Amino acid sequence: MFCEKAIELIRELHRMSDGQLPAFNEDGLRQVLQEMEALYEQNQSDVNEAKSEGRAKLIPSIKLRHCCLLRNQRCVTAYLYDRLLRIRALRWEYGSVLPANVRFHMCAEEWFSQYKKSLASFMRSLGGNEGLDITQDMKPPKSLYIEVRCLKDHGEFEIDDGTVILLKKNSQHFLPRWKCEQLIRQGVLEHVVS
Amino acid sequence: MFIADIRKDFYEVVANQRVVLLVAPDIDALCACKILQALFHCDQIQYTLVPVTGWQELGTAFLEHKEQFRYFVLINCGANVDLLEMLQPDDDSIFFICDTHRPVDVVNVYNDTQIKLLIKQDDDLSVPSYDDIFRDEDEEGEDSGNESDEGSEPSGKRRRFDEGAVERRIERQRAKREWEARRREILFDYEQYEYHGTSAAMMFFELAWVLTKDTKDMLWWAIIGLTDQWVHDKITNMKYVTDIATMQRHVSRHNHRNEDEENSLSIDCMRISFEYDLRLTLYQHWSLYESIYNSCYTSCSFKLWTLNGQKKLQEFLADMGLPLKQVRQKFNSMDMSIKENLRDVIEESSNKYGMKDIRIQTFGVHFGFKNRFLASDMVHATAALLESAEKDDSETDNFIKALDALSRSNIDRLHSGIALAKKKLIAIQQTVASCICTNLILSQGPFLYCYLMEGTPDVKLFSKPMALTLLCKYLLKSLCSFTHGVLDVEKGTVIVVGIPPESETSDKKNFFGRAFEKAAESTSSRTLHDHFDTSIIELKTEDRSKFLDALITLLS
Repeated sequence: MFCEKAIELIRELHRMSDGQLPAFNEDGLRQVLQEMEALYEQNQSDVNEAKSEGRAKLIPSIKLRHCCLLRNQRCVTAYLYDRLLRIRALRWEYGSVLPANVRFHMCAEEWFSQYKKSLASFMRSLGGNEGLDITQDMKPPKSLYIEVRCLKDHGEFEIDDGTVILLKKNSQHFLPRWKCEQLIRQGVLEHVVS
Repeated sequence: MFIADIRKDFYEVVANQRVVLLVAPDIDALCACKILQALFHCDQIQYTLVPVTGWQELGTAFLEHKEQFRYFVLINCGANVDLLEMLQPDDDSIFFICDTHRPVDVVNVYNDTQIKLLIKQDDDLSVPSYDDIFRDEDEEGEDSGNESDEGSEPSGKRRRFDEGAVERRIERQRAKREWEARRREILFDYEQYEYHGTSAAMMFFELAWVLTKDTKDMLWWAIIGLTDQWVHDKITNMKYVTDIATMQRHVSRHNHRNEDEENSLSIDCMRISFEYDLRLTLYQHWSLYESIYNSCYTSCSFKLWTLNGQKKLQEFLADMGLPLKQVRQKFNSMDMSIKENLRDVIEESSNKYGMKDIRIQTFGVHFGFKNRFLASDMVHATAALLESAEKDDSETDNFIKALDALSRSNIDRLHSGIALAKKKLIAIQQTVASCICTNLILSQGPFLYCYLMEGTPDVKLFSKPMALTLLCKYLLKSLCSFTHGVLDVEKGTVIVVGIPPESETSDKKNFFGRAFEKAAESTSSRTLHDHFDTSIIELKTEDRSKFLDALITLLS
């Protein structure tokens, strides 16, 4: 049946619904494109035939193939757009340098670097001369400093005014919130709520 | 030097700085640490908290952090040794020490620049005066200066002066020798006994009160710190009662708002109340029978390791009219009619059986409908968490768990601590019973000695200092002075704990610390004096017998 491969692509994305990015399904996409090509060829020949010989009976099948082509196109663009949105979310989640296991699945490196650049130039244009980092503090923070506990040995960590803190396992620190967010996401520090 | 005004000389000094908190592993220190953390959160003072379990860890932590931090706060460690010599800090490191260990080392007292002691100058400190211990070096210089002057004068005069100079020199040397002998004596008397002072948690609560930033949570932690000192027998009864009175003033000040009917607080708010409650450990979270069976006080009074004792216990329960079935149930499910007058009934009956102090002044907290705890419950639970002998957890993991259990939002951690504490108490009771019944306690001259072998059940539990100390005190109740050794299989070492003689009016001064040191020196046994309490050491198993011999000769 037509358009089944395209639905497969969509289902694959739908299965990993929590924002993870599966590998780019080149095979599936190629098959869909081949199907579209085949349909188009058939349609071309039928249209020529219908025009030249005036056989109106071919028109429904032409219409059917046309609808299938449109559907395939829609599915493929949805697939690509959804992947784009997920890659964009990665930038907001992990910062501008992606960890290795995430980068493995991506193939749209170029798009990602373009996006990074435009986001950076936007951020620089805000807030006067210095720019404003809008990827920090996504929720309004309750306090300037938070208490964090170190879950593994991370070595030395420098904060804004140059002081170096030694992050040893099971030590607790009271640090500015914005410096800790990265490390909390990476799992090195744990926010202690008391 | 002692700090006069804790707000000006400590808090305002660290107000805009980064601080390292080095905390010892006992409950009082944990409570003090929580109070200080809460204060620092209020004022956004950045800090780093490092738990330290002994002198070596203290040294390591200091080395790691000395480049980046100038201010160090030591909680319940560091006052009783010469800190500057041990750590060799740079000139700009400043140490704030809040420690209950006494005697405070004289160098720490008289150092004006780097060591600040957050300790009240109580009457019982009795630090020797400066002139008795430290002598200006200038006098030596004068001596030699005079001699060289005299040497350059012409020989005729010199002969006449020489006799006078020699006499004076001899006089000076004799005075110096006398002074040194007296100094040694004074220092020996001063450092002979080890004891404990006011709780660190209470010190920091006072700081919070002076800053008017005290909350009920901090008050509760201060109470727990004080109760820890009492549970582990670190302070005398008199001091405990005095400190309870101080805390009672704070409690009534905080409870002032609950007075009227109309504006009563929600049930979820924390309420601290003064209780004249029973001395049965964990009785509200256990069954009454188990609690009586496993509490130190009742078990020793009844002598529950004998058959006779158990019969007496049954009589006691019958005397009070408590049916056995009720008493063996969980306390919360006992009949209300029994629970109502329980304390008075028990007090009456226990007077008949010779237990005059079955009730003790303490505090309880309750918040929410289910959560009611006495201060001693919290102490036992947190102590059990701090020293739980799980294989996977390191000591700092336990420290973190115990620290968490003190927050009100971690009630399940507290409950797991209570469960562990119950196991620990049962283990202590059984070990005591077996030790006494199988005559494992040997008399070694001036002290009694008990050695727990490798295969004893729960021996892993007792390889931690606090549990071991509790066990010893339990054993001690009807006997006199005591030491105790437990085998720590992994390291091939033995942990030895020394407990002072037990009496009604004992002032809890422990001489075993110095005795251990001298014995170790004289026999050159391989010992590790790593714990902050000098009466707890680790000793190589092979050296055990000669160490004990030395100890016997020393103390007799």
